[in-house]
Amino acid sequence: MHILLVEDDEPLALSLAAAMRSRGWRTDVSSRGEPVPASLLRDDYDALVLDIGLPGIDGLETLRRIRAQGSFLPVLMLTARDGVDDRVAGLEDGADDYLVKPFALSELLARIRALVRRHEFRRGESIALAALRFDAGARRAYVGERPINLSARECIVLQYLLLKTGQIVPRDQFAALIPGWDAATSDNALELLMSRLRAKIEPGGVRLRTVRGLGYLLEPAAAA
Amino acid sequence: MNGPADTGSSSLRRTLLVWLLLPLVGLVPLTALLVYGLALRPALDALDHALTDTAVALAQIVEVDRNDRRRVTLPLSEQTARALRADLIDETVFAVGDPQGHLLGGNSPLLALAPAVPAGQWRFFDASLQGRPLHAAAHGHPCGDAGQVCTIVVAETLGKQDAAKRAALLGALVGAAAIALPLVGLAMLAVGRTLRPLQRAAADVESLTPQRLEAVDARGVPREIAGFVHALNGLLARLKLAASAQRAFVSDAAHQLRTPLAVMRVEAAEALAAPHSPEVRTSLERLHAAAERSSHLAQQLLTLARAEGMALDPMLTRQPLDLESLATGVANRWLQPSLDAGQDLGFDLEPAPVAGYSTLLEELLGNLIHNAIEHAGAGARVTVQTRSIAGRALLSVEDDGPGVAADEIEQLWQRFRRGHAARGSGSGLGLAIVADIARLHGASATLAPGESGRGLRVLVSFPLDDSRVA
Repeated sequence: MHILLVEDDEPLALSLAAAMRSRGWRTDVSSRGEPVPASLLRDDYDALVLDIGLPGIDGLETLRRIRAQGSFLPVLMLTARDGVDDRVAGLEDGADDYLVKPFALSELLARIRALVRRHEFRRGESIALAALRFDAGARRAYVGERPINLSARECIVLQYLLLKTGQIVPRDQFAALIPGWDAATSDNALELLMSRLRAKIEPGGVRLRTVRGLGYLLEPAAAA
Repeated sequence: MNGPADTGSSSLRRTLLVWLLLPLVGLVPLTALLVYGLALRPALDALDHALTDTAVALAQIVEVDRNDRRRVTLPLSEQTARALRADLIDETVFAVGDPQGHLLGGNSPLLALAPAVPAGQWRFFDASLQGRPLHAAAHGHPCGDAGQVCTIVVAETLGKQDAAKRAALLGALVGAAAIALPLVGLAMLAVGRTLRPLQRAAADVESLTPQRLEAVDARGVPREIAGFVHALNGLLARLKLAASAQRAFVSDAAHQLRTPLAVMRVEAAEALAAPHSPEVRTSLERLHAAAERSSHLAQQLLTLARAEGMALDPMLTRQPLDLESLATGVANRWLQPSLDAGQDLGFDLEPAPVAGYSTLLEELLGNLIHNAIEHAGAGARVTVQTRSIAGRALLSVEDDGPGVAADEIEQLWQRFRRGHAARGSGSGLGLAIVADIARLHGASATLAPGESGRGLRVLVSFPLDDSRVA
């Protein structure tokens, strides 16, 4: 994975870059926003981690320039301010996600992975989570190299859960997703579907959690 | 008016009234006396005039002998004498004496009381005859030879005089009252009206709180007091500025802390991932925990500063929100920490519309869940519930942990106060933040044991937002 990290606070930039590199991610660091658009044209990045509070043009302006030159690169914004304004401004200007400092490292890495996964998925590539891999084109799932048998409904549900890895997916969203199901479909039917799916995919090093009263959550079995 | 002003210190009202009414106390009796005198004088003059008329009539009766001009007589018939004495009210007596002082007619003792009066002159005097007070006029009447003077005295009892005095006194008193009473009333009214703006300003100042330092309304306040009110408003503005500067400082400080805290968290987590000796590992774990705690504390301080800032900003308007979707959003952030603490975080959500600030309400719920993580312990079942019941939107977080002793529950709302049996690393700010944010939303927050009798249930009850047409 190739990441561009734009952060002007040197200690934080160094820490984050070291943590990413130790996971085998190629990581480039910039302390300013101005050179970012040119860097994106020159190198093929998988994700951009962009601090909002930068000297010179700030993160939001940098983001506007990137989007203006037609880049769809996944962008995770970092901010030391969590006022309503920052969030709305950042997301409306085309950020894919944001994190408020001081974040947990595991959270940052999980968010970057999720962004990249979603991006790849949109490009019709396969998505992977731990040893679980889902081929979006062929609509087939694998644990390692072994294909697993999924029903059509399980396929839709898994695809959606992979897209939302690390996030709770409320129950009613599944009802809307599955053809023939609606709000009247019982929670029991959904739970039955989930427990079957769980048995099939959890050998792949993932965990499908039930969030009591709310929905379901797919995550790697052990936090990175 | 009851207040500290009454205890020994000077009262503006009393001082004003004293200075306004003191002249009245002196001047009104003086005026009454003057009126009495002025009213009485003509009446007494008229009475004197009646006496002189009688005396003049008597003088016409005095006869001087043609042959012996030293002989003087008073040929007064009984009828004439009765006519002269006739009076409806008073008893009239008279006496006429010859130049030698002998009685020519009338009452002898009265003549003895009369002073010597030169020719053509009058003397008026008061006397007492047989124990009865009289008012008398004495006249020196030239009679006989040149230089001879007869004395004519006419006196009457004081009935008419007394009546005149009573009438004059009554007039004076009524006049004085007619002046004094309206003046006293007007003075009290004027003082009351003058002081009312001051009382209103005082009431305005009384209603101020540290969270609401509004300027006191100076409209309609007299110039002299307006100066005071303006000075007060100046002070309030400076106070407000100082308060917002302090909030800005807390907010800035918390923001500035965030980046170094992020470094600490990242480095501690990375260091923990590598193999270490048990001693170093323990140190790193403590460092990591401290970094997490500091991060949370910075966030809480920021939330408090923001909640206070929002309470003061009249431009901010609440947005229509639903506690149900708010809880769904917050669930993502808090599920992992709750799982890490070995707890089962669950939800029981129904629509509950409120009007509020989403960031603050997310903080409120986050703090409640964090509180459960800190206090309920591993294995606890924590449930977030939203409901709308009887005009209220309810948000509760309940756990089945060890709970809190009943006598400690109220103290938990105070900043930096933690329960006796508290475990974990909470700052004690969490519930104070919950209380602040609830207050800002017109909501009430209560702590009680959980429904099973175990654990703790924090319930925040908001006014239901029914502004949206279904």
